[in-house]
Amino acid sequence: MRVYILFLFAMMSTRLLLLLYLTGHVFAKKSQDVDCLVVNLDYVSCKWNKTGTPEVNYTFYSKLGNDQWKICNHYLTENNVNIGCNQQVDSRDRFKTFRTRLTNGSENFEKGHELKKQVKLNPPTNLTVLNGSDFNLWFYWNHTSPAPLHCVEGEVRFRTNNNNWDFSKVSAGIQKYCINLPSSSSRYELQVRNRIDDSCGESIFWSDWSEPVVWGSNNSTYSKDLMSPWTPVIYVVGAISFILLAMLLLHHERLRIILVPVVPKPSPFLHNIEDWFQFSKGLKDNFKPDYNERACPVREYNYVSQSDVVSSDGSTCSVTTDQTNCSIEHDPEDLSAPFPSNPVSSEEVQKASV
Amino acid sequence: MKLIVFCLFTIYCCSLVKASYPMERKKLQEVLRELKMLKHDIPNTELMMNTPPKDIEDCCCLTALTCFRETLLQHFGISGKYQKKLYKSLNHTLTISGLNFCNTETSTTNCSTCHSHPKEKASEFFNRLESLVQRVRLFQIYFRKLYIKY
Repeated sequence: MRVYILFLFAMMSTRLLLLLYLTGHVFAKKSQDVDCLVVNLDYVSCKWNKTGTPEVNYTFYSKLGNDQWKICNHYLTENNVNIGCNQQVDSRDRFKTFRTRLTNGSENFEKGHELKKQVKLNPPTNLTVLNGSDFNLWFYWNHTSPAPLHCVEGEVRFRTNNNNWDFSKVSAGIQKYCINLPSSSSRYELQVRNRIDDSCGESIFWSDWSEPVVWGSNNSTYSKDLMSPWTPVIYVVGAISFILLAMLLLHHERLRIILVPVVPKPSPFLHNIEDWFQFSKGLKDNFKPDYNERACPVREYNYVSQSDVVSSDGSTCSVTTDQTNCSIEHDPEDLSAPFPSNPVSSEEVQKASV
Repeated sequence: MKLIVFCLFTIYCCSLVKASYPMERKKLQEVLRELKMLKHDIPNTELMMNTPPKDIEDCCCLTALTCFRETLLQHFGISGKYQKKLYKSLNHTLTISGLNFCNTETSTTNCSTCHSHPKEKASEFFNRLESLVQRVRLFQIYFRKLYIKY
């Protein structure tokens, strides 16, 4: 029973509230919504015709920060009815509190605005194009707002031969854009827009696009990705040639070896260095660690007559000297070969060499 | 020889930096970057802090900066990575000189003290600090010319 009573009470309350809401909505005054925008940091433009032209003429007042209320001195009208107001402000004022008031007799609508981000700059001007000495296409522009250069960022859009637009951001402080190595047979069209940079209070609105600038041939074919009829033929011929070449290489080993020589595979086992080269056996032996080169004897030979050989006095030895060729391998103890016809004994040789 | 070349190169690079971009403007940009990182780092907090007003007089910008810095230190400390960076940047000589465009003859006694400012939410606190720096960055040249003239 109690639950039933509670349920009934809730239902009635809901209906009553709904009735009051609807009644209140009908009898409520139609409030005027004011939208304000800082235009090019020059003036503030406020309008109250978003829901349609007002029925009465409102008087507009505005207040910046702690200043006094100021009446509008430049109304925007439509069908002789005030729909907006342009008011000169200092460009710093957008950081201050901005309040608006619309009055008409007893009606009074006040509203606060955050103007910092409600900025719309005028589009860039003097957009020009130059073909640089580096064969690149350079675009330059100016902006007309009082904002310093480092506070204005840009965005460009360009298209080639009336294809789709390509977009690109331009950092704050830069008023130029480059298209690399343009084709002389293509047509390039570019536009640019700007807004206040984030570091100076980013504006949520971009400016309108600037007037376009065009560079390139007017007679160029505006092909929307149309291919020449020969292009697929070339692609097919190229593919067939590639397949034939691959088959040729696989089946003709001789040709393959010439075109793609076999890279010798290094052996995992370590070999002696002398095996890498074609040395003679004698030279090979020279690289052995225990190699011990034998002394090469140098002998002097005297060409003496038979009579001098008989006598044992070696004081009349002549001076001719001959060195043996040590590269020729022979036993160093063997002093007799190959020498001149009158070999001399070893004792006489020692005496002569002194 | 190598040392001489290296020294000359360093001097050349330093001159480029000095000539190409005012240091104060760059420092203020750094403050904005660190403030953005801090806003993302800390969760949405209902903390109430003494916040300088939105409509700060030109000669009270430095007083407001001091208030922002000390309030930040009081409520967030410098233990966090971004808190520490931001505090250091707000305390940097370039930041202070960037916001100090009031000549010594102009009185700053009309500036409100930090504790007299009403308390606002942390989000509003950071937004006002951001606006202060952005405003100064936007009109730095204007401010300097104005106060040098007078």
